[in-house]
Amino acid sequence: MPTATETYSLGLQVEIGKIDTELKKLWQQSEGAMTRASLINLAVYSEVPGSLAQNTQLIAELTQNHACRAIVIGADPTAKENRVEAWISAHCHVGHAGSKQICSEQLSFLLEGPCTSLLPNIVFSQLDSDLPFYLWWQGALHDPMDPQLWAWVDRFIYDSRDWDDFDAQMRLVETAQEEARQRIVLCDLNWTRLDKIRLAVAQFFDHPASHHHFAEIESAQIYFAPGFRSTALLLAGWLAAQLGWRAEKATGSERLQFANSQGGKVDIALTERAGEAVDEIVLSSDGVEFAVRHAACGDLLEVSRGKPNETRLPQLMPALGNDPVQLMSQELLRGGPHRVYLRAANYLRHSS
Amino acid sequence: MNRAADHPQTNPLREGLSTRAVPQPCVVVIFGATGDLTHRKLVPALYNLAADGELPPALAVVGFARRPKTNEEFRRELEEATRKFSRQPVRDEIWNTFAQSIFYHQSEFADLEGYQTLALSLQKIDKERGTRGNRLFYLAVAPDQFEPILKNLKSVGLNHAPEGSWARVIVEKPFGTDLASARALNRIVNNSFSEEQTYRIDHFLGKETAQNILVLRFANAIFEPLWNTRYIDHLQITAAETLGVEGRAGYYEGSGALRDMVQNHLLQLLCLIGMEPPTDLGADSIRHEKVKVVRSLRHIVGPDVAANVVRGQYDAGAINGKTVVGYREEKNVDPKSMTETFVALRINVDNWRWADVPVYLRVGKRLPKSGTEMSVHFKKAPPVLFNKESVALDQNVLVVRIQPDEGISLRMQAKIPGTSLRIEPVKMDFHYGTSFGKASPEAYERLLLDAMSGDATLFARRDEVEEAWAFIDPIEEAWHAIKNVPPLYLYPAGSWGPEEADALLARDGRTWRRL
Repeated sequence: MPTATETYSLGLQVEIGKIDTELKKLWQQSEGAMTRASLINLAVYSEVPGSLAQNTQLIAELTQNHACRAIVIGADPTAKENRVEAWISAHCHVGHAGSKQICSEQLSFLLEGPCTSLLPNIVFSQLDSDLPFYLWWQGALHDPMDPQLWAWVDRFIYDSRDWDDFDAQMRLVETAQEEARQRIVLCDLNWTRLDKIRLAVAQFFDHPASHHHFAEIESAQIYFAPGFRSTALLLAGWLAAQLGWRAEKATGSERLQFANSQGGKVDIALTERAGEAVDEIVLSSDGVEFAVRHAACGDLLEVSRGKPNETRLPQLMPALGNDPVQLMSQELLRGGPHRVYLRAANYLRHSS
Repeated sequence: MNRAADHPQTNPLREGLSTRAVPQPCVVVIFGATGDLTHRKLVPALYNLAADGELPPALAVVGFARRPKTNEEFRRELEEATRKFSRQPVRDEIWNTFAQSIFYHQSEFADLEGYQTLALSLQKIDKERGTRGNRLFYLAVAPDQFEPILKNLKSVGLNHAPEGSWARVIVEKPFGTDLASARALNRIVNNSFSEEQTYRIDHFLGKETAQNILVLRFANAIFEPLWNTRYIDHLQITAAETLGVEGRAGYYEGSGALRDMVQNHLLQLLCLIGMEPPTDLGADSIRHEKVKVVRSLRHIVGPDVAANVVRGQYDAGAINGKTVVGYREEKNVDPKSMTETFVALRINVDNWRWADVPVYLRVGKRLPKSGTEMSVHFKKAPPVLFNKESVALDQNVLVVRIQPDEGISLRMQAKIPGTSLRIEPVKMDFHYGTSFGKASPEAYERLLLDAMSGDATLFARRDEVEEAWAFIDPIEEAWHAIKNVPPLYLYPAGSWGPEEADALLARDGRTWRRL
């Protein structure tokens, strides 16, 4: 969550049927001084009490780099009475190119009671036409998922770290995808968390002279923070999937064993310790260690290779924190299908 | 652009992480390491790449220059410059790590011994830092220094890399001052480095919007069917700057606007906007198509120069309300100088696509506003219905702004609300800065990374450069002839150039686009 403790207003309360009219008024008032910008429709759905305020703060930060029409939904399906409220607001900042304010609009909805099932109806009528629709679902998915909702989603964003049963949740997503006959790109923020670490690991092997190490990796140690075991497993799944390792057996929950394509053994040790989500990974191959660890400052990765006890020349690379704004920002920058994720996730599904 | 540069997709861990060719470990050797370009552009660009995690895992920078200096002194100088010129603030941790990979090598450019010791230093760096024998030589020096540097590199064998490694050279403009000197320069370069090893840098091509021209044209099906003589009336390319000669008089006096800007930057932009679709995004596929455009330019020769080219020179005037001196009053400028600071050209591209579509190029110093843009002016709607004589609609204009405020706009006609039929032009405008919060990387960042990756797409090829000079030379010759020399018009600083530049279009029934 953002470090600032400012409070963010939901803006002007409006009748749902008059949102368009009220938005027009909002922009007319500020004509000349502000530019409305939008590249995507970003809907954020949460059932956590107080999420509207928290997500408003998050959108305020996110829109500094990603202009969008934000649709923030706070829902409580367990409430007995129906309640639907809506607000409109704008997040403005001065663009890097000039002095004009660049603004993204936010529509906020509070849905309580049985009317939460009207979510697709409410969301669809507020989409900015022709722009892609990203749905960020915070928390666990419900069975059954409404296929009507999925029919319009281009990218579905979630954080599998929040899920207790990864396989069951993924099955729900797949079923909904099939019913909606829609090719949705699945974007797991738990996977995004690994972006910079994966990049740091991958770059060791860019030069063809390093490729022999792929067949010679005999072990990996992954250190992860409490609560991030699934992140560490995704990292292990990625290595296994990309390097063609076959899962053999797990020796307890902290040791995984694989066989590489030549039948050689690869051991992966998962160790929990205080630090960043995935704090460190060390691959050992043919007496050489490839190490990526978070530097003391936290937002940089220290990357080095060498023989144990040898003096190394570490390189610094950017790291990605666990802040949702950073994670979302990184995810929105990516685009394209996440095929590699699906392969790594497949591994996680069968081991979670 | 070229994803199939060095070692494509051979690292399975890269899948899904990079959409560009991966830069390889290497040593960047900068000749002219104490110069302005190194301090203002090259090292800040390398630092920004390091801060963004874009550099290869093993990279070293060796500065080669004449002045005696220690590694530490050199690093301190570069740190100071980077703090001043970097696009992002310098972080101590990143700089300190990056600086450990910077070394200074003192030698005269013509001293063979200096290159022998350089070769030994590079071997040592390879061993210590894992740079794998890959070398990127950057000639940030005047062209008259190319020959001794390249000859000596060849003498000590640094022009060739061991098996599995590479050696490349980046050459800064100007690539000659005419066709003969460009050929001579290319011969000098190619005596030591093959064309595949040679990267001629034109920083305009590293700009985000210049790269976006190909995306705009070939990733959007709506434009290509209209992109020809049937629908386009004419093209305009303008590069305007409010600055004067700014301490570059020594160079500029011998160059002028035509050689300094048109031969390279503007013709490169014209190639991007005028080329046929390439067969793929490979460097040579794109450059094959670009060079065809330059080859198709109708040469402007003899009396045609006066009719199709207007040259000007700024006189005293005012920029942003401040008075400024004329070009001839600038320091180190000949008081009788005939060097042009402004040039406007009417060009014909003699190929099937662009037949009868004139291209107007305009470049100038001390103009009222800085900006570089290309505009495609479509033919007017037929003179019936809304476009009858009494209404006279404007053309549709598609504008690609290169700098500043990069973006794309499209002008179209719309009815003014009301009971009467009044039609006015409106503009659909896309600004990179508004839509994307992330600032674009500097052109040098992109280009350095491309050279490390072996992707030459955004670098000029020998034939492109020589064909461009072949087009420019007859104009220069006419200006330097003894008889019937086309006039050099003075224009007040802060104006849009001489009136004759407006007349160049006016006689075709057209006007320059107002920036």
